[in-house]
Amino acid sequence: MGSKEGVGNMKNRARRIVLFGAVVASLLVAAVTAAVSQGKTNAQAAPAAQEVSGSIRLAGWTSGGSTEGVLLKQVLAGFAKKYPKIKVTYTALDPYQQNMLAQFAARKPPDVFYVDSNDFPDWAKQGLLEPLGPYIAKYKFSTKPYFPRLLNAFRYKAKLYGFPKGFSPLSMQVNTAMLSRAGVSAPTTWAQLRAVAQRMKAQNIPAGGRPICLQPEWARMLAFIYQNGGSMLNATKTRATVNTPAVRDAVNFYVGLINDGLAGTQQQLGAGWCGEALGKEKAAIIFEGNWVMPFMAEQFPSVNYRVNRMIRNKQAATLSFTVSYSIAKASKNKAAAWTLLTYLTGRQGMATWTSKGLELPSRKDVKLRVPGRTAFIADAAVGRAWQFAPGFSKVMTVANNELTAVIEGKQTVNGMLAKVQEAANEALR
Amino acid sequence: MAIAVAEKRRDSLGSAKVREALVGYAFVILPIAFFFLFFIFPMVYAIYISRYDWGVLGPIDSVGFQNYRDLYHDELFRRALRNILVYTAFVVPAQMALGLLAAVIVNQKIHGRPFFRAAFYFPSLASSAAIVAIFIYLLNADGLVNSILGTNITFFADSDTALPSIMALNVWTTSGTMMLFYLAALQSIPPDVYEAAAIDGSSPWRTFWKITFPLLKPGHFFVLVVSIIGCLKVFDQMYIVSGGTGGPNYSTLTVVLYMYQTAISDLQWGYAATIGVALFAVIFVFTLVQRLLFGRPEIS
Repeated sequence: MGSKEGVGNMKNRARRIVLFGAVVASLLVAAVTAAVSQGKTNAQAAPAAQEVSGSIRLAGWTSGGSTEGVLLKQVLAGFAKKYPKIKVTYTALDPYQQNMLAQFAARKPPDVFYVDSNDFPDWAKQGLLEPLGPYIAKYKFSTKPYFPRLLNAFRYKAKLYGFPKGFSPLSMQVNTAMLSRAGVSAPTTWAQLRAVAQRMKAQNIPAGGRPICLQPEWARMLAFIYQNGGSMLNATKTRATVNTPAVRDAVNFYVGLINDGLAGTQQQLGAGWCGEALGKEKAAIIFEGNWVMPFMAEQFPSVNYRVNRMIRNKQAATLSFTVSYSIAKASKNKAAAWTLLTYLTGRQGMATWTSKGLELPSRKDVKLRVPGRTAFIADAAVGRAWQFAPGFSKVMTVANNELTAVIEGKQTVNGMLAKVQEAANEALR
Repeated sequence: MAIAVAEKRRDSLGSAKVREALVGYAFVILPIAFFFLFFIFPMVYAIYISRYDWGVLGPIDSVGFQNYRDLYHDELFRRALRNILVYTAFVVPAQMALGLLAAVIVNQKIHGRPFFRAAFYFPSLASSAAIVAIFIYLLNADGLVNSILGTNITFFADSDTALPSIMALNVWTTSGTMMLFYLAALQSIPPDVYEAAAIDGSSPWRTFWKITFPLLKPGHFFVLVVSIIGCLKVFDQMYIVSGGTGGPNYSTLTVVLYMYQTAISDLQWGYAATIGVALFAVIFVFTLVQRLLFGRPEIS
């Protein structure tokens, strides 16, 4: 009896000490967070450190050995320091979609993971993701620092399911040496682009290549469609708007550049993608995203090029590619997942993640200190997310195949638009 | 007494037989269990799934035969089916002919026979992904093949040449396996038949067409079945070459690639299962027809 009581007493005492410690700790944390949020925004409104604990899994496609992988490790080390009670295990999945779907189907998905904006509508529709609204309200988390267009890419039926971890818009990269050799300046409009390309072609610049590189896919051409005031869907995403004059003119312009020999596809230029064509000096003007910069620095450091703002026509517009961190609906430890999510997409986490400029920060309060990205940042304001509605990957299969047929002259532009329109309306039904 | 002994012997004989059978079953039970668990059960389950609108988290709605009706009117599926039929029509005869030729060559008493056997078989050992990656470089607009020909053909980016290019590379890679099958069949032909032919003064050409080729019939059947099935479910080469789109102009869209897109990108698992069932039916019919034409498959 006595010994049992003793144990009980000891337990009680231990409990009291822990309780006291917890109170002190929470007071401390509260004081610190209050002090921090007084001066700055409440960017880090995650639940107090001692409330949540446990092990959670994080998944993405960033491989551990890459430069990005090293950055992610740094971010996670920062998280571990701040929240020592939460143990995070990161797994890189390749191929990402298949692996994620298998884990969703097995009801054992990672707690926090990447979601590509293009996959997002399908994943949200199937109920794989946890809506974040209740957490935002409970923890008074501010979503104001995120660029609204990027944040809206992760909204499905008015509910938010993720915060963008970064983004990249399409801008224009030009080979400065070739442009000056041809005696032209970088174009800013469609008319100038065509004129510049014609002058370069007349002087056979670049030799053995074409002035412009255009990839035969809608994930590039859509930027031109947006610039012409066209779109894929109406604002409410209920109806396809593909078969319209604005889209038709943009497609004619895009395909016309290729057919007139002013632009080449990456295959025609003997490259895997247009960035490689720029590096091999087979093209002088390309329209790619931020990913072109680390690629050029690594593979073609001697090529002189500059990033300019995206070309424009009736309006300035471009495509943005973005990825979110989201929480699985089936997660067993959502409090810890939320803590991790808000750290990764919070000010501190994102500052580390984007410190090398491999991805651009999706928060306005994170400043990029890497040079050469001003055009991307400027284009961000007019960027629209690469995203449609559930079931659109099939539409894109049709759209891209039809586009290659148009470029080969086996399909008319009108024929393509009719088919894409039909496929899109089929998916919306 | 004598009767009793006889009785006893029969008894022990029977039980020995039973024991032998049990041992036999014990040996196969594990592989058979695996076979049922990982092949038969998923096949039956796929048929079940194909009658649902089935998402990642399971059945959403029972749709009866709607998936099959949709498939019948699906233009992409038709295009994919046409592609694999064209592909099969060209690749199967080519790889059978090449495999037989290689088998006959390495079956001769020539110098360096082991080297040739290994060399012909080697491409089959390399992973298809690696071979496609190499071919993408070789067939690049400024790659080796184009610089030899002095042309500028974008083999994989032109809808007229994309599928034939994949056909060529697959004939090359898989003919080694076909050679191996034919070699086994060739060596099962009794040598006395050839001796008799030699005594009758038959020419090698005549011997091949009158003796070797007809006696290879079970070999032909086996190779044909394996080759056709392999061709109808071709996927990885097309997936890599087209970046998963089946392009350019649907020219590399195969049924399995379409099924993959439907399941992984569109998350329509019910419809993807329907495509799988349809492909199963096509392969089943092909195999049945061959069996009627050639008889039972046998290979020693």
